[in-house]
Amino acid sequence: MENTHKISFVNKYLFSTDHKTIGAQYTIMGVLMAAVGGFLAYIFRYNLAFPGQNIPLFGALGPQQYNSFVTIHGMIMVFWVGMPVLLAGFGNFLIPMMIGTDDMAFPTLNMMSFWIFFLSAVILLASFFVPGGAFGGGWTMYPPLSANGYMVRDPNFLSALLSGSSLLILAVALEFVAMLMGGINFLVTTFNKRTKGMTAFRVPLVVWYINIAAVIFMFSVGPLVAGAFMLLFDVVLGTGFYDPARGGDPILFQHLFWFFGHPEVYVLLLPSLGVLAEVIPVFSRKPLFAYKKLVYLALLSAVLSVVVWAHHQFIAGIDPRMATFFSIGTIIISIPFAGIFLSFMATLWGGSIRFKLPMLWALGFIALFLIGGLTGLFLGSNAFDIYAHDTYFVVTHFHYTLFPDIFFGFFAAFYFWFPKFSGRTLNNTLGHLHFWLTFVFFNCTWFVLFFNGLAGQHRRIHDYSAFSNFSGGIYQTFEKFSTIGAICLILTQFIFLINVIMSMSKKKNAVKNPWEATTLEWVADSPPPHGNFPVMPEVFRGPYDYSVPGEAKDFLPQNQQ
Amino acid sequence: METTLTNPVASRKFISDGVLGMIFLLTTEAMLFAGFISAYIVNHAGATMWPPADQPRLPIGITAINTIILLASGFLLFFFSKNFKSNQANGKNGLGILMLSMLLGLTFVSIQGIEWVRLIGYGLTTSSSLYASFFYLIIGFHGLHVLVGLAILAYLFNKVKNSKSTEDAKNTINACKLYWYFVVGIWPLLYYLVYLS
Ligand SMILES: [Cu+2]
Repeated sequence: MENTHKISFVNKYLFSTDHKTIGAQYTIMGVLMAAVGGFLAYIFRYNLAFPGQNIPLFGALGPQQYNSFVTIHGMIMVFWVGMPVLLAGFGNFLIPMMIGTDDMAFPTLNMMSFWIFFLSAVILLASFFVPGGAFGGGWTMYPPLSANGYMVRDPNFLSALLSGSSLLILAVALEFVAMLMGGINFLVTTFNKRTKGMTAFRVPLVVWYINIAAVIFMFSVGPLVAGAFMLLFDVVLGTGFYDPARGGDPILFQHLFWFFGHPEVYVLLLPSLGVLAEVIPVFSRKPLFAYKKLVYLALLSAVLSVVVWAHHQFIAGIDPRMATFFSIGTIIISIPFAGIFLSFMATLWGGSIRFKLPMLWALGFIALFLIGGLTGLFLGSNAFDIYAHDTYFVVTHFHYTLFPDIFFGFFAAFYFWFPKFSGRTLNNTLGHLHFWLTFVFFNCTWFVLFFNGLAGQHRRIHDYSAFSNFSGGIYQTFEKFSTIGAICLILTQFIFLINVIMSMSKKKNAVKNPWEATTLEWVADSPPPHGNFPVMPEVFRGPYDYSVPGEAKDFLPQNQQ
Repeated sequence: METTLTNPVASRKFISDGVLGMIFLLTTEAMLFAGFISAYIVNHAGATMWPPADQPRLPIGITAINTIILLASGFLLFFFSKNFKSNQANGKNGLGILMLSMLLGLTFVSIQGIEWVRLIGYGLTTSSSLYASFFYLIIGFHGLHVLVGLAILAYLFNKVKNSKSTEDAKNTINACKLYWYFVVGIWPLLYYLVYLS
């Protein structure tokens, strides 16, 4: 008896092929990795504010460790938090529910996708414990540091294979395989498994955006994998692809990396924007403004995203004419995103807005992303970028884009769909506390660092004591202010944790459709059983029929005739 | 349980799940090779002498024959899939053709392997020059894809042999053959770039 029970536990929670379980696995794994990434950030931020001092819960931080921690922090937040939570997590939870089907097209592939992802995370974390420590040459892995610099000390095959840089490359490659399997599943499911009546332009925008993100990912990842393998062979097989002394070219890696690296930004951004496109109409009680055009804008941005990459290389010695081309491309690509945000504004305009928790996160996202997006325009023009390159200005810019994207996007989705997928409700007061403190402390952490960046402070130096213009005075005060903000930001997340634990320990009390929304997932039970719907719902209308004139209710579910 | 919940619009599938998934996978694969090829072209164009004077030359002749062997394998697979239904109607499954296609694929990698061993003996190693590095990188990755392709064809062989429904077998054939077409189809380009240019 007991034995059979155990097997069913393994099948139900570990090797489940149910899309909701896999979505939860990805999300939980992403949150755990975010804790690791946040802890690393705490350590190096502490060192920047109080250089040379003993760091509580850690100890002294050496320069090499500082480099490793900064590198792996970036890697974790992009590839082990952003990707699993926004792409794999949202995709798995939402796509089958919103298009009205029982599961993914390839459930077994889906399960394998998660376990390959899990393996990649284990390899990444294991790289902290190999001789020489985790890779510390920056998250972009530029050669020569990654190929034959001081990171790889002992160039025999086995020790080279077990070095921080090759383990990192290996982990990233496996993570890509996992996301590729997920992406194929999302696309095939969306193409082939939509329920009756769910035509292309009745599909909720978030499903569109996750699929477009998957396409961008699949189109751009190949060259990076090619570049990464060449890098791996430089490390372990002694090839010289990136070694100028042997005829190779280190800039080549930068091209291959950023051909993927820039589109990756949109892979992370589009799923979150999709979440906003679901949340904002529900809490404005208005149809999403220009729904179809938002699909076209995202497709346009997908096309443009692969012709802007060299804006990361303005100081790498590329041809100035090429730099101008990429500058113009970069500034043009802000147009579709400006369009998307304007549509959100227009949706809010004149709506009867309900300031519920998901809506607060969505509005916070817009407010912060505005700052991130506008500073991006500065950096896109090569004249300014040559000055600001590799300063805190850049770091602050991308934290103002990626933090709202990954965390505000995630929390907007979490507070919105948690009642649906867990069947339980969250505490509202704790939720408000969580939102407001996160919003305030994020700005405390980052806004001041714009000034450090404009003063020319470089991002990759672990101790500024030797630089008198930064080691005392206002810029060091800013560093301290930022660190205290970061510590408070991290502590604030415990409020969230407590809220979730409290809610999970209570009875299931969520209703089917707490927000009075129209899309199909709200038709299912909370939580949805295996197979999602007792009978597949038939769809008769688009996803955003709010406040339709002449109707008794102010929302019409998609399955209502 | 799942069968009672089958989607009411399964008939909407213009393309089967397997074929569609394979198309997306191969798009990614094509971009992977595009990455290798563009890196190769950039380095080739920037090099003063290609191949370097002190490096052994690649076996152009035998590889030309090998190219024909691989193309023949692809053609046989095409032939197999084209005649699958009529063969089945005649009470045969045509698996002999598929077997022959796989054997030709196996011959291709075997010859490649023998050539690699000889080249290493002549002093062409991964670290002997950039020229050699690119050779092993690109041709090696293609060889890896041939091996994966053969595994896929072996899976297909097994599936067709044991499959009860013709429709099911047909879908598997359509998905699996795409992978082999990709492996075969990209080879002449790689042969031209790496061996001839
Ligand atoms: Cu970029």
